[in-house]
Amino acid sequence: MGQVTPDSPSEPTLERLLEHPAIWRGRSAARTATLGTGCRRLDEALPGGGWPAAGLTEILTARSGLGELRLLIPLLAMLGRELPARWAAWISPPFEPYAPALIAAGVPLERQLVVRTADPAGAIEQTLDSGGCAIVLAWFAATARSSGVARTNKSTQLSPLRRLQLATQRSQVPAFLFRPLDEAAQSSPAELRLVFEPSLEGGRLQLLKSRGGERRPLDILWSEWRELNRCEPKKGKSARDVHDQT
Amino acid sequence: MTRRERASSVTRAFRAPRRPQLSQRLQSLPIPQSTRKSEPLLLESLFDSAPESWIALLPQPSLSQHLPQGEVEVVDSALLQRLASIAGGFTSRVSLEPPDALLLEVRGSFQLFGGAQSLCLQLLERCRQAGVELRWSLAPTPLAALALARAGGETIVLARDRLAGVLAPLSLKVLGWPAHTVVRLDAVGVRTLGAALRLPRASFAQRFGQQTLLALDRLTGAAPEPRRMFVTRERFRAQREPGFELYAQPMVLQCLEPLLLELEDFLRTRQSGIDLLMLRLQHRNRPPTRIDLRLASAELLAKQFRELLVLRLSQIELPAPVQRIKLRSGPLQPLVTCSESIWRAGEHGGAAGRESPALIERLRARFGSAAVYGLCLIPEHRPENAWGIAEPGVGTASVPKLTSSAMSRRPLWLLHEPEALPSALQDLQIVEGPERIETGWWDGREVARDYYIARDEAGAELWVYRERMPPHAWYLHGVFG
Repeated sequence: MGQVTPDSPSEPTLERLLEHPAIWRGRSAARTATLGTGCRRLDEALPGGGWPAAGLTEILTARSGLGELRLLIPLLAMLGRELPARWAAWISPPFEPYAPALIAAGVPLERQLVVRTADPAGAIEQTLDSGGCAIVLAWFAATARSSGVARTNKSTQLSPLRRLQLATQRSQVPAFLFRPLDEAAQSSPAELRLVFEPSLEGGRLQLLKSRGGERRPLDILWSEWRELNRCEPKKGKSARDVHDQT
Repeated sequence: MTRRERASSVTRAFRAPRRPQLSQRLQSLPIPQSTRKSEPLLLESLFDSAPESWIALLPQPSLSQHLPQGEVEVVDSALLQRLASIAGGFTSRVSLEPPDALLLEVRGSFQLFGGAQSLCLQLLERCRQAGVELRWSLAPTPLAALALARAGGETIVLARDRLAGVLAPLSLKVLGWPAHTVVRLDAVGVRTLGAALRLPRASFAQRFGQQTLLALDRLTGAAPEPRRMFVTRERFRAQREPGFELYAQPMVLQCLEPLLLELEDFLRTRQSGIDLLMLRLQHRNRPPTRIDLRLASAELLAKQFRELLVLRLSQIELPAPVQRIKLRSGPLQPLVTCSESIWRAGEHGGAAGRESPALIERLRARFGSAAVYGLCLIPEHRPENAWGIAEPGVGTASVPKLTSSAMSRRPLWLLHEPEALPSALQDLQIVEGPERIETGWWDGREVARDYYIARDEAGAELWVYRERMPPHAWYLHGVFG
């Protein structure tokens, strides 16, 4: 964790301390471990150069099935080739994941685990804590939660997300939550929040919350997505590198 | 091979009075001390001694000790099974001889137990401790061992060429042949095994049947006798009656704890696991509460069982206080062990070394077993039949993988049931198609559809189809997520 470059012993202690991944200063990109997305321009736009390798990522869409799953297919395929074999958990997906399409995209079926439950938060926490999962995808059939009684008590309403964020950090497993767009206004403890809108042959991504990522919306085309073959998470750029560039 | 063992390969048959202790009896065997390193003796032990040595054990019903020689007593099969599991400590090759006897092949265990004599001694001691009185014999073939044991027993024959001599004086009754065969042999003056063995083979087979001749060949080892080996079918069974009623689940768990530890010990000594655990909580005047725990893979740790039982117990409500707890295991399974990772699972990215079945068990215990599943591919052209629900982790490696170029684009999401679309499709813009998918007469679910990829006003790509049959209705079947 506290990986301090040993070749510069004369560096001030404070500088070295600030390189700790847990510390993020507003002006620089957070130094977190990330996993490649499969799209070079998206990698560049995201803090650290990819999806957070440990943490909650929220993907908000107007409704399910607009193409948001395609963002994660290269990652699913890559994690599916990784050893030791670990599950990719799909928690309360809106439709049935279609096996022939997954196979065609290179996602191994024998590592997919579908869980249908009325308590997605509990299932996510359990899968994360088991240590047997490489990635967790979850769909919060959410709007019901934000209406009615839950709204009266904001602290209890948010605690599940906070607990999930802590669980992903504890287990060092990435979790992706797919939530409806109307929940964008709610605050969230997620590491990264982005809105996805489909367009012709691609989509538009807008980062709602990120630690030093791109602010402008990003238009991506499916044609520029490549297969991922790197297995180890890459370390983000150090805060110092970013300082030097700016 | 020790001198004593070499010496014991010489045939010994003796009848000792029943009184003295067994060890004394065995020590009083006339062991010829060979003083020179004689070639013939060595040759006999190396080449002429049989490749197998069978011990026959005949449990004696303790009350009826004075049955006539050779008469078959009916022995409780449970007793035989118990004996078989004792014998399992001496050799892995144990075979039941159903009505009354047990056979074990011990050649491979001689070295470990310090020779044939010492092995027999230890085996009998162990049986005596279990409260079983036995007649026994050791011989190169199972039938010979059985015959010798029935004739009175306590004979050790290691070399096959001595076997005929030892068997010769025995009565034909010891073989357990059908009565009419014995009577007919008796009528021609054949009363001992030796006399039967001296008869000309061809006419013997003609008069008494090929099977009878084969039995004789098996007796002397001229024909092999394949035997079905006994496999211990053990299950764990334990119960506890605390003497007071258990009102709350924590009390039940506390009471269960020693049983689970006992179960773990039981499994650990057998290097096995179980994938089924049955718990019965008995109440007064109520049917018992049953909890059956099915595991994704064989397990043995009490910790794991406890964790799952806690989950299951927390879901049920006890109808009444619990009086007695019964725990029973399913059949034992061979255990595949693997090293644990240095980090606890879920900590610092520490993971279980395999696709962790523990996770599936826990999820199933909590959400029900149908709620947790994997996916599989089925080679079928109809889209809804081309995938299936599978046991998680059961791969589809055997199915030839279709390359993406070989088939047209398929959506990542499939609707569970095709959803009818309004016939006016102004909102949808057809992007690709049609792709015709037809027939299915063999199982009565015939399809005739033209599939299109369409884009709706929100920009989502949909997989829709139009029936080719008259109403020509449009349906939504998938979503390119």
